[in-house]
Amino acid sequence: MSGQSFNNRGFSRRSFLVRAGLVTAGIYLSGCIRKLGGGKGSYAHITGDLRGPNAKAGHMLRDKVVFPEPVNIQTVKTLIIGGGISGLSAARWLKKNGENDFKLIELEDHTGGNAYFGTNSVSSYPLGAHYITIINNEDQQLIDFLHETQVITHFDDHGLPFYNEYYLCFDPEERLLINGHWQNGLVPDFGVPDKDRQQIERFFKLTAQYQNTKGSDGKYAFNIPIDESSADDTYRKLDKISFTDFLKAEGFDSPYLLWYLDYSCKDDYGRHAKDVSAWAGIHYFSSRRGKAANADPNSAITWPEGNGWLMKQLRNMVSGHLMTSHMMYSLDIKGDKVNVKVMDLKKGTTSLITADNVIVASPQFVNQKTLAGLHRPGVDYTKMNYSPWLIANISVNKLPSPEKGMVLCWDNVAYGQPSVGYVNANQQDLKVIEEKKVLTYYLPLCDHEPRLSRLAAYTRPYEQWLDIIVPELEQMHPEITPHIERIDLWVWGHGMISPAVDYVWGETRKNAKQPVNNRVFFAHTDLSGISLFEEAFHQGLNAAQKVIDKNHGA
Amino acid sequence: MHKRFSILLLVSVFIIATCGLIYELISGTLASYLLGDSVTQFSTIIGVYLFSMGLGSWVSKYFEKNLLTWFIRVEILVGLVGGTSSTILFLVFESVSSFRIVLYGLISFTGILVGLEIPLLMRILKDRFEFKELVSKVFTFDYIGALIASLVFPLLLIPFLGLIKTAYLFGMLNVLVALVACIVFKNEVKGVKYLKSAAIVSLVALFIGFLYSEKITSLSESLSFSDPIIFSKSTPYQRIIITKKGRDLRLFLNGNLQFSSVDEYRYHEALIHPVLQALPNAKNILVMGGGDGLAVREILKYPQIQTVTLVDLDKEMTHLFRTNDMLVRLNQRSLLSPKITVVNVDAFSWARAQNKIYDAIIVDFPDPSNYSVGKLYTNTFYSIVKRLLAPDGIMVVQSTSPFVAPKSYWTVDKTLQSVGFHTVPYHDYVPSFGEWGYIMAMRRSVYKVPDHYLAGLRFMSKPCLEQMLFFPKDMARVPASINRLNNQILVKYFEDEWSVVQ
Repeated sequence: MSGQSFNNRGFSRRSFLVRAGLVTAGIYLSGCIRKLGGGKGSYAHITGDLRGPNAKAGHMLRDKVVFPEPVNIQTVKTLIIGGGISGLSAARWLKKNGENDFKLIELEDHTGGNAYFGTNSVSSYPLGAHYITIINNEDQQLIDFLHETQVITHFDDHGLPFYNEYYLCFDPEERLLINGHWQNGLVPDFGVPDKDRQQIERFFKLTAQYQNTKGSDGKYAFNIPIDESSADDTYRKLDKISFTDFLKAEGFDSPYLLWYLDYSCKDDYGRHAKDVSAWAGIHYFSSRRGKAANADPNSAITWPEGNGWLMKQLRNMVSGHLMTSHMMYSLDIKGDKVNVKVMDLKKGTTSLITADNVIVASPQFVNQKTLAGLHRPGVDYTKMNYSPWLIANISVNKLPSPEKGMVLCWDNVAYGQPSVGYVNANQQDLKVIEEKKVLTYYLPLCDHEPRLSRLAAYTRPYEQWLDIIVPELEQMHPEITPHIERIDLWVWGHGMISPAVDYVWGETRKNAKQPVNNRVFFAHTDLSGISLFEEAFHQGLNAAQKVIDKNHGA
Repeated sequence: MHKRFSILLLVSVFIIATCGLIYELISGTLASYLLGDSVTQFSTIIGVYLFSMGLGSWVSKYFEKNLLTWFIRVEILVGLVGGTSSTILFLVFESVSSFRIVLYGLISFTGILVGLEIPLLMRILKDRFEFKELVSKVFTFDYIGALIASLVFPLLLIPFLGLIKTAYLFGMLNVLVALVACIVFKNEVKGVKYLKSAAIVSLVALFIGFLYSEKITSLSESLSFSDPIIFSKSTPYQRIIITKKGRDLRLFLNGNLQFSSVDEYRYHEALIHPVLQALPNAKNILVMGGGDGLAVREILKYPQIQTVTLVDLDKEMTHLFRTNDMLVRLNQRSLLSPKITVVNVDAFSWARAQNKIYDAIIVDFPDPSNYSVGKLYTNTFYSIVKRLLAPDGIMVVQSTSPFVAPKSYWTVDKTLQSVGFHTVPYHDYVPSFGEWGYIMAMRRSVYKVPDHYLAGLRFMSKPCLEQMLFFPKDMARVPASINRLNNQILVKYFEDEWSVVQ
């Protein structure tokens, strides 16, 4: 999104209503046509459900329901709001530093945020984030955590981390269906003309150069966590233009290269290249420098349940402190205390929690409602764009064979398709023969502005999602439909923050990171601008560290 | 008497005779494919078949009324039984104990029915021809039919149609005779409508069998194997095929040769005896892969062995090599030994959960031709298995051909070394495989070539092993890297190297 539509709210609103009307009417109409046409046809055997994050609680906040006055009052030194990776990481850090007087409340009946996962009779599978890559070696805090959890088993003589071989993504890792053939790797190669190859090569030369570039302050131009990146304006000014404009200016026009870069933006940010900043687009390629003793740089680390595995490790470290199905509905600062009102969604009762410090690890689109009474100067919530996603976990009893080219990989992508492909949730299986598989299919809903796509996604019924997914799968694997046993859908209305132009290094993010009254601290990937496990981990850790410093200083 | 009728009936004689002999030939061929020893099989099949025909002729006198109706019934029945006979025999072959009963039962039944045909026919025709004319015509056509059958069977039918299709084809001809008789004699036959529909249903059934016979033993499969297939079965894990030609019995898994009975002793002696001769006190042995029981056969030659644990994924494999006569003879009942425990699970996960220590470990997996099997050749797998090996124990790994695939072979060696094993690579010549490689892996650094070998071995000896340890220049060590789960280079090398020769 260029941001323009938000500057002119009046026009944008009318246009939005018209387009929203058209989109939802289209979905209803298509539903009617289906009914007239005799129903599901060749998908009739496919079962499954359509789920998503707790919508009921969300609507209570949105519709400003009147909550009963709390009767029960609790006191806690530190309260964490939100049980995604940021909140859990904050909890771990408090506990690790001897701060045991804390609670974490989570609206859902489980922790995990978008690292949550599902399980069926075949396998566990991710419902969102599903891998990390080799960690930058100077990121000691994250390396320590991975060592604690045996993701890193030991260090070799040169100090390089040795990653657990059961978690390093098994070979074969990636394949791309292009020009009728499954090629090895995702960068277009099979049947790609020489002049396009040259551009692809030139692009990677450029990003390799950025990867090792440091700014005038001695920091890497692009780094993870993002706030460790250089403040040098030479690089930060790339945040002011879109990735597409940057590519145009640099003379990149190969359709194969542009497809690949657009795919990359969709994959990591849930948006097209034109809707993310050039800084973010380059960050994808130039921020990872991690070296491992036993794997190539950029190797993926993954589990059947995706980052749900990492989430469980964090959760188990702080299990006594978690209160799930608890929703904060108001927060205000009274003197040296923070009063947080919480509803127990299971019992329907409310209580007041009085805390010295609060770490708000919920996303800003939620905070916009819950923290309505809190003054956060310079925070413009409308500048924060969240990409909606559809995740489909597809249980198949086999893949039709034989296929042309490369065999089933972990990550399987088709050139020129709306989705970013699917991952094989059973990649890390040790069995020689797997009979059934779960394929986790990722569809970023990025063809309209996020709120329009979100509205359409909430409107679309199960069968109509199949109309999108199954034909695409058929294109990848002709004759697959009879082998599909189940498709479980999960819609993320606000899947991840998208690093739109001027968001990462703009004013909104800078202001939104600021604590309020040195009592309310914030931690979430939407305060990084990119939704990565590493960012969430540091967001939580940094907020917790501020609380610890304050407690020690006081 | 219409002339047309007599011609029709004589054509029927001709067809009946051809079909009769074809069924006999099919049974004989199938029996010698499946059971071997063609002289015995053909001789007994022909004997039983002719005797049954005699029985049929004898029984024919008890048919008194409605001869034409009976003739039509017999034709339909012969067509059905004869047409499906080879399919039935193929399908029941797996449960070999009852196979001979089914085989001779089917032959006798077909023989009796065929034996009924000519006497019935002659009695039907007796009022329409002069007797000497009748005998001369019927037997002329009978013997001409036999000649035609004996010529087309080996020259045309077996090479182009195969056993199963041939049987269905002649079954249909038999039923066709019945159908034509129904139509032509519609006024003389009792219950003609019923017989006609029975004939049509049978014809359709046989035709479907003819069309789908490839599903039973795929024709493409028969073409890709040079020897006759005597057994084939798709299990959840693989396609098992056994071929037999003369005394050469071969096992194929997913089209890849596992052994030939002619020279498998060279492979299995080389796999087992360099390890066990060097471990006179070995008591507990682990075998991974090798569901054919041939490696176990060699292991059980050492009386001090107390237990053998065999881990093979495929239950059907170990079941087959425990129950099939011919295969049990080949592995010398090794899988039926009380010392053996068979575990039908995936080796990787199984090994990961084990703690028991073994004195020797035999790793006899299929070649690393895909990423799934390739996992069993990684450093991660070897380090798991290393935990299960006694401090002085020896593990041996079948490691593909160092001649055809030197990079693959030395990658296995390098991978074994990477987890702290000392390795002893060696190789021998197995005619059906070519030059083949093995690698012994152990914690201790010294391997001494054993001085003595068990009596009765056909291949292994001290000078033999000394020679096997030497790698000529064309198989010499090449630089290699470690095969890991996250970078299965072995699968890529293996594919590249073998694609050149296949």
